[in-house]
Amino acid sequence: MATTTASISISSDMMGYPININKTMTMMKFQSCNGLEETSGLRAHKFESTSAISIVEQDEYTDTKASKVYIRNTGSSKEAFFYVAKHASAAADATAGEAIGRLYGGDWMLIPYLGDVNITVAPSTAETMTLEYMVFAEGFLGGQG
Amino acid sequence: MATTTATVTISSSDLTPGMALNINASSTLMKTGTTTGLEIMDMGRGSLKQSDGNQSLQAVTATSDDYGQASYVYICNDSTDDQKYIKVGIEATVIGNLGAGDWMFMPWGQGDAAAELTIEAEATGTIPYEYAIFKSAYELPDAS
Repeated sequence: MATTTASISISSDMMGYPININKTMTMMKFQSCNGLEETSGLRAHKFESTSAISIVEQDEYTDTKASKVYIRNTGSSKEAFFYVAKHASAAADATAGEAIGRLYGGDWMLIPYLGDVNITVAPSTAETMTLEYMVFAEGFLGGQG
Repeated sequence: MATTTATVTISSSDLTPGMALNINASSTLMKTGTTTGLEIMDMGRGSLKQSDGNQSLQAVTATSDDYGQASYVYICNDSTDDQKYIKVGIEATVIGNLGAGDWMFMPWGQGDAAAELTIEAEATGTIPYEYAIFKSAYELPDAS
């Protein structure tokens, strides 16, 4: 059994008192105390157009398990961003109710993933942008061609 | 200007044989398309019951001016019972299952009027949770 931990720390001076959120989780299989054992590996993809691509293909993962997906926009621009959506092939703000949100430069996300729908991204600009991502999987089926 | 930073560390010594995994990333959360920090947040905790059904954690704000803005969501399932998980969604799209002790952090674009955040307990008993939502903009609704 592998042990993979993920910690989040959020700090803010938005209020008149400090706000600090600190949590650590160990990535477990669905309804289990056994750790996730499979991964896509850490990947990076360079974009040079605004075309959408699916970075996580649902048919590579077993449905309704406890997989997780980490994604980060490696850029520094707070104007350029990636649309992120749970959709077979499209990503935009109003992608048929399946849009998640925008990842601006330096932004990251870590979400649970059911393996039921692709995760698709699209850059907001044709300028070179890079996304890194990794799937922590329960039930990796491999490339389906 | 407020400064809000979100940092993640993911590590494993044995997920990939012979190669330790260490991911560290940090982001300062800015208003949409700017280098001005976010200044609106909603934070709290509660408990869910399966009989409650699908619940709205946060509705989309009333005006389309808030659609497509930079907002971020943190949710944590504070249960310690590995049978108790929370189904998290945006509108009709299920993002995933948040197991006991699991947290998630993601952007929330509020793409349209229906893109509310939803949570649903998927086991008997109560499931404690906590959340924080950081927003670029929030237009107050008209008084009723």
